[in-house]
Amino acid sequence: MSAGTTTPPSVRRPILNFGRSLNTSSDDTGSSYTGAGNAVGSTAKDYVESLHQNSRATLLYGKNNVRVQPKDVAEPMPGYLSLHQTAAGLIIKWTPNQLMNGYAESEGVDKSLLRCHLVHASACPHKCVLCSMAPVCTVFRRRCLGPLCIDCVYWAMSLQVCVWEVVYVHVHRARGADALILVGQDGVQRPPIHFPKGGHLLSFLSNLETGLLPHGQLDPPLWSQRGAGKVFGRGKGRRRPMPSLCESGETEEAEWEEAAGDYVFRIVNNAIADREAMRHSLLERSVQSPPRTPRLPLASTSTTSSDSSTMSVDCPPSAGLNGHPPPMIPHHPIEQSASIELVCSTMRRQIISRAFYGWLAYCRHLSTVRTHLSGLVHLNIVPRDDTEGGLTEELWRSMTDERGAVADKDEVYRLVYYGGVQHDIRREVWPYLLGYYEFGSTTEERAEQDTANRRQYETTMSDWLCVEAIVRQRDREATAASIARLSEASGRLKPADNTSCEHKDFHFNIQVFEDDCSVISDNPPVVSPEPSEIEQKKPDTKPVLSRAPSIDEVDNIEMDSEDKGKVNGETEMGDNRDVDLDSLKDLDEEEEVHIKSTVENPDMRRESIAEIKRLAEGIVQKGGGRGPLCSVDSANINLNGNDLRSSLDESQPIMPQEIPPPQHTSVIITNPSVDLAASGSPASGGTTANVSPARSPLGVVREESHSAGASFDTLEPSNDPRPENRSNCVSPASSNGGVYSNELVESFALNLHRIEKDVQRCDRNYPFFTDENLDKLRNIMCTYVWEHLEMGYMQGMCDLAAPLLVMMREEAAAHALFARLMHHAQHNFPSGQAMDAHFADMRSLIQILDCELYELMHAHGDYTHFYFCYRWFLLDFKRELLYQDVFAAWELIWASRRVASEHMVLFLALALLETYRDVILANAMDFTDIIKFFNEMAERHDAAAVLSLARDLVLQVQTLIENK
Amino acid sequence: MGEDSERVYGRSANKNSLLKIVILGDGGVGKSCLMSRFISNHFDDHSFHTIGVEFMNKSIEVNGKQYTLQVWDTAGQERFKSLRTPFYRGTDICILAYSVDDRSSFGNIKMWLNEFLHYAGVKNGIERFPFMVVGNKSDVPSREREVSHDQLKQWCADNKIASYIETSAKNDNNVVEAFTMAVQRWIELEQIAEKEMGMLENPDSITLHGNHGTAANIRATCCSRFSEA
Repeated sequence: MSAGTTTPPSVRRPILNFGRSLNTSSDDTGSSYTGAGNAVGSTAKDYVESLHQNSRATLLYGKNNVRVQPKDVAEPMPGYLSLHQTAAGLIIKWTPNQLMNGYAESEGVDKSLLRCHLVHASACPHKCVLCSMAPVCTVFRRRCLGPLCIDCVYWAMSLQVCVWEVVYVHVHRARGADALILVGQDGVQRPPIHFPKGGHLLSFLSNLETGLLPHGQLDPPLWSQRGAGKVFGRGKGRRRPMPSLCESGETEEAEWEEAAGDYVFRIVNNAIADREAMRHSLLERSVQSPPRTPRLPLASTSTTSSDSSTMSVDCPPSAGLNGHPPPMIPHHPIEQSASIELVCSTMRRQIISRAFYGWLAYCRHLSTVRTHLSGLVHLNIVPRDDTEGGLTEELWRSMTDERGAVADKDEVYRLVYYGGVQHDIRREVWPYLLGYYEFGSTTEERAEQDTANRRQYETTMSDWLCVEAIVRQRDREATAASIARLSEASGRLKPADNTSCEHKDFHFNIQVFEDDCSVISDNPPVVSPEPSEIEQKKPDTKPVLSRAPSIDEVDNIEMDSEDKGKVNGETEMGDNRDVDLDSLKDLDEEEEVHIKSTVENPDMRRESIAEIKRLAEGIVQKGGGRGPLCSVDSANINLNGNDLRSSLDESQPIMPQEIPPPQHTSVIITNPSVDLAASGSPASGGTTANVSPARSPLGVVREESHSAGASFDTLEPSNDPRPENRSNCVSPASSNGGVYSNELVESFALNLHRIEKDVQRCDRNYPFFTDENLDKLRNIMCTYVWEHLEMGYMQGMCDLAAPLLVMMREEAAAHALFARLMHHAQHNFPSGQAMDAHFADMRSLIQILDCELYELMHAHGDYTHFYFCYRWFLLDFKRELLYQDVFAAWELIWASRRVASEHMVLFLALALLETYRDVILANAMDFTDIIKFFNEMAERHDAAAVLSLARDLVLQVQTLIENK
Repeated sequence: MGEDSERVYGRSANKNSLLKIVILGDGGVGKSCLMSRFISNHFDDHSFHTIGVEFMNKSIEVNGKQYTLQVWDTAGQERFKSLRTPFYRGTDICILAYSVDDRSSFGNIKMWLNEFLHYAGVKNGIERFPFMVVGNKSDVPSREREVSHDQLKQWCADNKIASYIETSAKNDNNVVEAFTMAVQRWIELEQIAEKEMGMLENPDSITLHGNHGTAANIRATCCSRFSEA
């Protein structure tokens, strides 16, 4: 209402129009300069300045050349559209360019628009009817209602709308232009605001949505706007018009451009306190501007339909601009002289038309919500007949043909959706459900796929293992350095401690390096450890500094190992002794990342070393047990090193390179190659990794991992003189040419440390996760992260991989399934934007399905942002349910993608909420209560009931949409 | 919403004895363990890494008065910022945790401090907000220790944080003390704030004086009382 002159729908009665425009513009803009005194020009300037960021209002959005067609004007005029956050709420302003450019330039007024004649003030007999002042110049408007000064003409055209007064925001998208129409709570439509193409409308809406927070919101929410700017997760394949409208706006402009259509958003005001404040100010206003008062009450009483009441509840009568800039509301004689009767009859008409518009808008809003929901479920309802038992082994076998192929995937999905999978065949079925196996593939094909997958997995692993070796090395150096520093510091403080510190160091290093030592002693041509250390320090641009910490190690190695290393060690020491203490500090800073507690690692490594030894023995015994595959493989990888990537030839020349360390930022893995050289048999057999494929599928990868795991310590393979282990170190190194960029190493190191921390505390209370299996989990994580280094490790990935490993037992398979799972799940992580979408969906769903609960959530500290569901969605309820139930829930989620809904998690979440709705309502839980409640309820839910309720809810929504 | 506006200075101005405490720090430093040790006197070697946020309540008596502490535990990975930070609002006490065997977690405390200052809307500066630095895992063998107590002391002095302590959630060493100290610090700052309210003229200069004095006092007391013990 407080908008400009242009709002009234009926144009037939000029007088009334005039009255309105008079009234409104005096409310809004007119008064602002009346009050300011005579200096019209300067108030205009003030006004324009008020459009900028200032102390009273924050500018949220501003856009030039947005076109609006004010009444009385032939065609849309360009102006400046802005969105301001003020103490009393959001204000949308549109100011014609003419005003923006200042009064002085109004000479350039488009005469055709105004049919004005300009008179010099001195000669002008009129006063402006709006500001009641003798203006400098006067113009008559087309429908000559009285003289207006030029400014007032434009003031009258300008728009100023308090967002709380707006109920609906209509968005009309057409090929030519995007228009936005604001519909007030009184049903009045503001003139369309035409945005230029290019995402401006979207950006305005998203700013509006943000600006409404925390007291209000757009309903339905403007999708995933909060993730604006993020690139990930756009391709989620949502097909509903609403989200596509927004997502495409963000990501693919073209799509948004194409998506024509109409959308209606409702502006919801949540703050009860605000409501009251507004009612209050409404009263105030009613005193001030009589013609306005009857409108509101009438509007809501005369329209008895439910929609209008919703309107008035959701969007309380607002103060509008009352609290704002226009401080004075002058009384005009004209207003008082207006015929009451006339006003009343027009009002009646307006009320009726507004009620109608209100109803129409409400219907449109409902259909928008529906459209919105329809994206959440599949429209065709799959019957649940005969699915009580789910997918039993018997059924599964009967569906499998003689070649081992299962063709009827729809039936499988249906059975799984309604009844789950019998536990015994989960391992067989899951790969299908996750899309790893194709339905219809034969047993042979799958076996091939597995083999290829395993080979791929091993290759990837050998790649990162190699980098891990470097990381370990750096860690040791860093640890040594920081310990040296600590002891140095304490030494400085209490000289007496010195000895004990050294002693400690000594101990520590022995621990860390005992493996190396053993290697050394085992391998006569022992140049190995030291050169490797030298090499690995090369990456640092400051070779001296980086080398410094190694002194300790070198020292220790010397002590432990036979004299062989000494030559190198000593020269090193000689070089650096004096430098090191000072340089340690720098080093620390440089390598802070690596200084993570390596302490646990040596231990872990030692375990796996033991493992390797055991394995090695096993291999010796089973020597003949290697299948043909194995030999092929080993040959393969062996040669791999040679021909595929960068060759042994390449790495060999570098090897003897204790010599001049090239000073660049790449890490050269000479470690392994040195090792190789040391063993004197470059051709020597396959990696331990190579050995493994030959072995039984289940056992293989595990052991392989350990043996491979051994290789990160590069020098460990030690006691086993056989060449396999040794060359293990070579192949990974050479497979990448042995050169890794420093960034790569650092980024992997960071991830590695995080992974290890989290793996160590993943599902430890579940008996499956022994150290051995945790190691597998670690390998899966590392492999996945190595393949997706740009994404990196994120907390929660472990949880997602763990049940898969429990089920598949074998690393490579579990990894393959995990990768599939992450295909969907990655969007839930902070780098994606699916989480916001989930929250928004939850909001809509619960609003529609259980508005009582929704109201409660609103009223008690408003937790309709649904943050408390975060973990549910991120981990697919993995931490909410017991393992057995997690299996069932996951199957439901996977199968539902084909059967009922792409977003089953939403319905599971809804089911969880609904299960406890009475508890929640009875205790009137607030946000903290609910977080606490669900954290405490974790793993105590009746999963079967929840899953079943979730399916019912899907059905409910499907039915709802069907009935439209 | 409403509650926010009541909170002046980024912390609760009312005298409610419910105090909201958040524990921040890198992943794996033992935030959850600190919390569960404090709340339920239970240590789980196999605890999960935290996803999202969790919180628990516990009543504690400090200076003869009962306080209910609402302890919030957060996810430590940097990436989960957007999820964590909304919960900073309305916090009364902030505990910054690192682990003494992890230098980088110590180095990151500054980052956590800044994140908190930024999102919790602490307006009166670090000195006026009850921060507490906790070096967890003090049980590790000394050869595995990467951060010395002196470093902690120095860091806190440099960053104007008055309370700090080393704890071991595993051995139940200093955990309750840490929370008690934090509450005491809160009480002290609260009293200072009250005093200032009383003295209307030129509160700024008084702020400075009063604060420096107290901070120094507290530093003295807390070291002698707990840490060096």
